[in-house]
Amino acid sequence: MNRGRTILGTWAGFLVILVWCLLPVVWILSLSFKGPDETAAGSPHFLPETWTLQNYKDIFNDGDFLDALRNSFGIAIIATALSVVFATLAAYAIARLEFKGKRAVLSLALAIAMFPVVSLVGPLFDMWRTFHLFNTWPGLIIPYMSFTLPLAIWTLSAFFREIPWEMEQAAQVDGATSWQAFRKVIVPLAAPGVFTAAILTFFFAWNEFVLAISLTSTTSSRTVPAQMSFFVGPDPFNPPYGQLATASVVVTVPIILIVLLFQRKIVAGLTSGAVKG
Amino acid sequence: MAAIDIDHIVKKYGDGFPAVNDVSIDVQDGEFMILVGPSGCGKSTLLRMIVGLEDITSGDMVIGGKRVNGLAPRDRNLAMVFQNYALYPHLTVYENIAFPLRLAGNLSESEIDTRVREASKTLELDEHLQRKPGNLSGGQRQRVAMGRAIVREADAFLFDEPLSNLDAKLRGQMRTEISRLQKRLGITTVYVTHDQTEAMTLGDRVAVLKRGLLQQLATPRELYENPGNLFVAGFIGSPPMNFLPATVEGTSVKLPFGSVEVPQDKAAKAAGKGLLMAGIRPEHFEDATVKADRAPGSTFKAKVDVVEWLGNETYAYIPFEAPPEVEKQLRQLEQDLDGESMHTQLVVSLDGASRISEGQEAEIWVDGSKIHLFDPATGENLTVDRDNAGRIPETAKEAEPASA
Repeated sequence: MNRGRTILGTWAGFLVILVWCLLPVVWILSLSFKGPDETAAGSPHFLPETWTLQNYKDIFNDGDFLDALRNSFGIAIIATALSVVFATLAAYAIARLEFKGKRAVLSLALAIAMFPVVSLVGPLFDMWRTFHLFNTWPGLIIPYMSFTLPLAIWTLSAFFREIPWEMEQAAQVDGATSWQAFRKVIVPLAAPGVFTAAILTFFFAWNEFVLAISLTSTTSSRTVPAQMSFFVGPDPFNPPYGQLATASVVVTVPIILIVLLFQRKIVAGLTSGAVKG
Repeated sequence: MAAIDIDHIVKKYGDGFPAVNDVSIDVQDGEFMILVGPSGCGKSTLLRMIVGLEDITSGDMVIGGKRVNGLAPRDRNLAMVFQNYALYPHLTVYENIAFPLRLAGNLSESEIDTRVREASKTLELDEHLQRKPGNLSGGQRQRVAMGRAIVREADAFLFDEPLSNLDAKLRGQMRTEISRLQKRLGITTVYVTHDQTEAMTLGDRVAVLKRGLLQQLATPRELYENPGNLFVAGFIGSPPMNFLPATVEGTSVKLPFGSVEVPQDKAAKAAGKGLLMAGIRPEHFEDATVKADRAPGSTFKAKVDVVEWLGNETYAYIPFEAPPEVEKQLRQLEQDLDGESMHTQLVVSLDGASRISEGQEAEIWVDGSKIHLFDPATGENLTVDRDNAGRIPETAKEAEPASA
């Protein structure tokens, strides 16, 4: 009796959370299959009355959107790669080495993370114009990298601290240089941390809007979130909801794929068995 | 294969505290050397200085005739087994053992394979080669750690308390296994432990350390029969040696329970020194009613407090009152040995046939020729036979805090 109630409660809670999280996603998905008549209707149905792929055809024939998609991928991937590499090296130093100004580095990193992005838009805009970085890939990659570094450093240094010192010492006694010990023992052990940091960085760069809209002017560097604000359609009072929803679906798919791909890698407890206990 | 010469090594930490203080140990080629002592005696630090994980403040570390003070661990060609094994969890057992060979970089794949399989056969790891360390038992992990060491043909093996994480039964088995392996490979070995049983059973020679100072460097038998000072005497042997207040008059030693006759030469060495500390091992006592031939000893009567019958032998505990100056010294010694004994008591090991029961007034026989007499102020063993006591550095005497 009691057990039955627990199971029932679990499923009820599960359902509530599922609806709460997924309903908007399903709504967008359903919108993307509706024609313009249906999206403009006064009292729309939840599911499309006539399923159509027209929105997808339109989106993938839209050169601007494809450019934006390319920019998004390029900028997000490069920013993620740089951020993870720098963060790994910095986090290793913070976790393992004693040096002057260690606390300063950590607090500074935290301070950067606390800065509201919006407050930097103005100064960055002026600087990038002077440095000819406005409306370029590096113009977005650099801020994305800077804003995600603190989180990546903190995540990774926590992972590095978990790895027993003896691992490295054993590697050194076995004949490894410091670099070999780092690459062959420490990095593989910190892999879950590296993937976590990479995913968080990628999400940030992929979804970011404020900088993307302010620091770009053409489709040569504008990313998808910014580009979507330019979907106006022929009638200003009647935005192309179907196409907006379709674009949203298209940009969500990579995120879902990445999470599914890497979730196996983000398994804690990889270090179990290294040492006793 | 190489001899390791530890020459006046000092290790001072940032606060100036000497963790290892002027220690000299010569490990012969092929010798099994034990570094033993209670926690904080500097034994692990010394080992880590040999392997290069810890900087040397002063002194020379010479391995195979070459001074290695400034060399990185990878350039010393030593193999080490860590206390917690330090296996690489992301690699299989095979890859763990092959790791040092792959780093060497000059071996062909088939050669690596041959050597890994040879090591795994020696350690009976064949069926586990493709498993990850996380799925192995403690004893198996221990063997993998040893496999990683023996696969390399290193100049020496270093063990840092390798058995302390195993349960008692496995520890005994692995101890024999390590001993057998070392004998077979004939490789120079330095082994750190806090366990006096491991020290006694494994070592060709044993270096006893206390608070960073070498106390005595000798074979296990020499340590047992001729401890250089109170600390070594109390550390080596289980149950430990009994320490009793004593005064020497002629050839008789006055103990709390009565007088014991000692040989002329021992008495002469301790004559006129006032209050001394007598050290008698538990097995040098016997139940007088069981002991048939008790010619050279003396007997005394004492009330037995607790009796522990183990079948082959019996431990009997006899409490006694110690004068304050001796009591203080005994407490200090107890602290040095990481012990927490509450009472001053005599532990005697009797024959299993003994029928002495708790609370009984028993007649105990003691072998006077085996008594050691210590100076309570310096801890020095006055009756030590220096020809059979290995090396007792002068520093060991000073280390004993004079009535601290």
